[in-house]
Amino acid sequence: MQRSCLKMSQLELRFQEDTSVKKVRRIPAQGQVLVKVGDIVSSETIVAKGTVLNPEIHDVKVYAELEVYPEEAEKYMLKDEGDDVKKDEVIAILRSFFGRSTRVCRSPVDGSIETFLRSSGRVLIRGKPIPVEVRAHIPGRVVDVIPNEGAVVECRAALLQGIFGIGGETVGELIVTVDNPDEALATELIKDDHKGKIIVGGSFATVDALRKAATTGVNGIIVGGVDQRDLVDFLGYEIGTGITGKEKTGFTLIVTEGFGVHPMEERIFNFLKSHERKQASIDGSTQIRTRMLRPEIILPS
Amino acid sequence: MGADLRNEPCLVLDIDDSLTKAVLIDKTEQGYAIKGTSQTSTTVDPPNLDVTIGAEKAAKDLGHSVGKALWAADGPSKGLRFLCSSSTGGSLYMMVAGITSMISAESAQRAALGAGALLIDVFSKDYPRPDYEMVERMRSMKPDIFLLAGGTDGGAVQQVLDMARLIKTADVRPRFGSKYKLPMIYAGNIEIRNQVSETLSEERYATKAVDNVRPAVERENLGPAKEAIYDSFMEHVIVHSPGYSKLVSWVDEPIIPTQAAIGKILYAYALERQVNLLAVDVGGATTDVYSIYHSVFNRSLNADIGLTYGISNIAKMAGIEKVMRWIPKEMSEREVRNIIGNMMVQQPPSLTSDEILVQQAAAREAMRLAVENHKEIASRLKGVSVRRDIGDIFSQAFESTYLDMMKTQVVLGRGRVFTQNQTTEATILLLDALQPQGVTEIMIDRLGVMPHLGMLLKESPQGAVQLLSRECLLKLGTCLAPKGRGNRSGVAMWIRMTKADGTTTEDEVSFGELRTLALGNGDKARLEVTPRRGLDIGRGNGRRLEVDVVGGELGLIVDARGRPLEVPAEKHLLAKWGKSLTPNQQSFA
Repeated sequence: MQRSCLKMSQLELRFQEDTSVKKVRRIPAQGQVLVKVGDIVSSETIVAKGTVLNPEIHDVKVYAELEVYPEEAEKYMLKDEGDDVKKDEVIAILRSFFGRSTRVCRSPVDGSIETFLRSSGRVLIRGKPIPVEVRAHIPGRVVDVIPNEGAVVECRAALLQGIFGIGGETVGELIVTVDNPDEALATELIKDDHKGKIIVGGSFATVDALRKAATTGVNGIIVGGVDQRDLVDFLGYEIGTGITGKEKTGFTLIVTEGFGVHPMEERIFNFLKSHERKQASIDGSTQIRTRMLRPEIILPS
Repeated sequence: MGADLRNEPCLVLDIDDSLTKAVLIDKTEQGYAIKGTSQTSTTVDPPNLDVTIGAEKAAKDLGHSVGKALWAADGPSKGLRFLCSSSTGGSLYMMVAGITSMISAESAQRAALGAGALLIDVFSKDYPRPDYEMVERMRSMKPDIFLLAGGTDGGAVQQVLDMARLIKTADVRPRFGSKYKLPMIYAGNIEIRNQVSETLSEERYATKAVDNVRPAVERENLGPAKEAIYDSFMEHVIVHSPGYSKLVSWVDEPIIPTQAAIGKILYAYALERQVNLLAVDVGGATTDVYSIYHSVFNRSLNADIGLTYGISNIAKMAGIEKVMRWIPKEMSEREVRNIIGNMMVQQPPSLTSDEILVQQAAAREAMRLAVENHKEIASRLKGVSVRRDIGDIFSQAFESTYLDMMKTQVVLGRGRVFTQNQTTEATILLLDALQPQGVTEIMIDRLGVMPHLGMLLKESPQGAVQLLSRECLLKLGTCLAPKGRGNRSGVAMWIRMTKADGTTTEDEVSFGELRTLALGNGDKARLEVTPRRGLDIGRGNGRRLEVDVVGGELGLIVDARGRPLEVPAEKHLLAKWGKSLTPNQQSFA
């Protein structure tokens, strides 16, 4: 037995035909903001850039390199916490008489000394910071700047929310591949010229269609339903918690109705059809639980 | 139980992410009574962004229904005790750290879980992951409170300080309020409090030192750490949620996590009745297990295992085939998977018949997974050297977990899956998932006011336990379930029941049978149960048991399907089980 589609009140909540959309764009660290209030930006404009801590930390057993007891390693250290180090730079040295059996410990990477663990004679070296940037994602006007972190971009747009998605932010030209919302997105409907586009299916996307979309280089799929089994097969792992957005699938998928075969809500389908060939900004990120983050389709006016 | 402290009526609120539930409790000539309940949507999220709006509405609605003004212009009416528990924001998120995973970190874990927390990670020096991974994890998963333990009093120093330095390096930020300091509770080696406090400096953390959770390897002391968690929850955590600072100014006792309040009332109930109790709370996103064995309380939590938000995770953790084995009709894997997926993303307010079957199947697996997890928490203290003699080999004195279904006198279910279905369905869910053995009372929480009664404990310990027993718990029946297996259709046990009026009945129960015997709700009877050889009803293999029992909604439940329970591959047998129980009248499988 199929559950019917969402009630009208729920639909109203997730479909606003003309609204002000504000997007906070910030890098996850302190950095440089490249726009100012009043600037007109495209979805590809870089708003801010900076660097974030490198998650890669190397655990270097200084005591083992020097062949001493862990608690003795401290007295042979040449570097302190916070010091920058180069790859292969000596960070600790044990000199012996006449230098015949001098032993050294070198840094395995370019980075900095994060922590020295005295009791265990080990050093944690963090790799060099990683550059990050954030783009506007929607075309519009910069209405606020967050010092050192980013900006707020605003535009008038239609805002639609899906019910579940995978993959993060992307943009592309909207192409409707089916004639009506009952029609499934089959493999043969995905063409080579859909590369870089956001394609709209009807009631259902098969696993073969998902695979073809990935190989074609489609940027996004918007569809009424997908079989949970197909999605698991496509992703290669079980979906546990409803937290998505980081998947490396090559495209963003937004499911508007639910799992299984679900004709897309007619109003949404017709609206998307009326906006065919226009630029859309979409984000499949979903958080089902506390924050109730649903995937978004933004169609700037 | 101490004497009751006050005579004012109590307005008690429990606020979770979706509902704010108000209960009015007052004294009557017959003792305490629940005068009324009301519930409304919680208003902590947009557009309201003020928890007190929902609190006021719930209290006013309740006042309207009981004909009493419970709310004034500036908060609860005078002459009322106002109490509150809360689990908004998806509960209290905690990280704990210790030196050894099986000693200090495990005790810290028990303290945090016992205080109602959702544990997002446990760190220890002996856990096989490098320090940098711990640092990254601490950084990426923002907790509400961090509990650091480690070292017995006068014991390890350097390793505790190393862990403190790791935490310092990680610069752990709180989940809410980036400008606030993260509450850091130190409950380790008492002799290095100052050094730990210096390492975890005032600028970064709101550090508080309390008594060691593991002052000696063979002793655990969770009370002070739990109290510190409650204090930090009140002072540092909930005040960051919209409207809570106003709510805090109104309450007569500190607000504590909902799960802590539930744990308190269950503990009081088990102590009062001198029973071992196992309770399972199956929610939408999480499944909690509480146990009290030999007066030792434990709670465990399976985060992300639940029947709406967490239902996909049940299929992931248990395997879809484990869920499907409980569905009493033929359904394809695709159908089941799509129902599960839609229950997660849509959280439908009402369910189709197929959805009910899938949800009940998932509930069984949620409880099974949760109880398996609970065995790790409800265990004797590890690290203590024990001497075994030849007699111990045959006893369970040194079993790794306290949890023993044969020694469990009460099994309790909590959650909508028990209350929204018929009592027979609730019963079979508990029987299938928990597989009680011997003689066990089966109950459910029918009113959903356990947190409220947990809050009432400070006001009136006796009143709270009486109310729990009299109004909150629905006694489904006493279950007789022999351990072991036999031949299907062969006799499993002979039951002679003598009721209070002197009438005696005799029954022969076949192996594989599941049925009820008539015994009025609350009526007492004397049973003589003789299991067949190879089966044990509590006295040993084939030995006769004499026991006094009390009837419930279903009378006396006889479950001779064997333990461990084997789930039949034939769907018609599964469907037959579902129809085997009938409220308080005899039926045959």
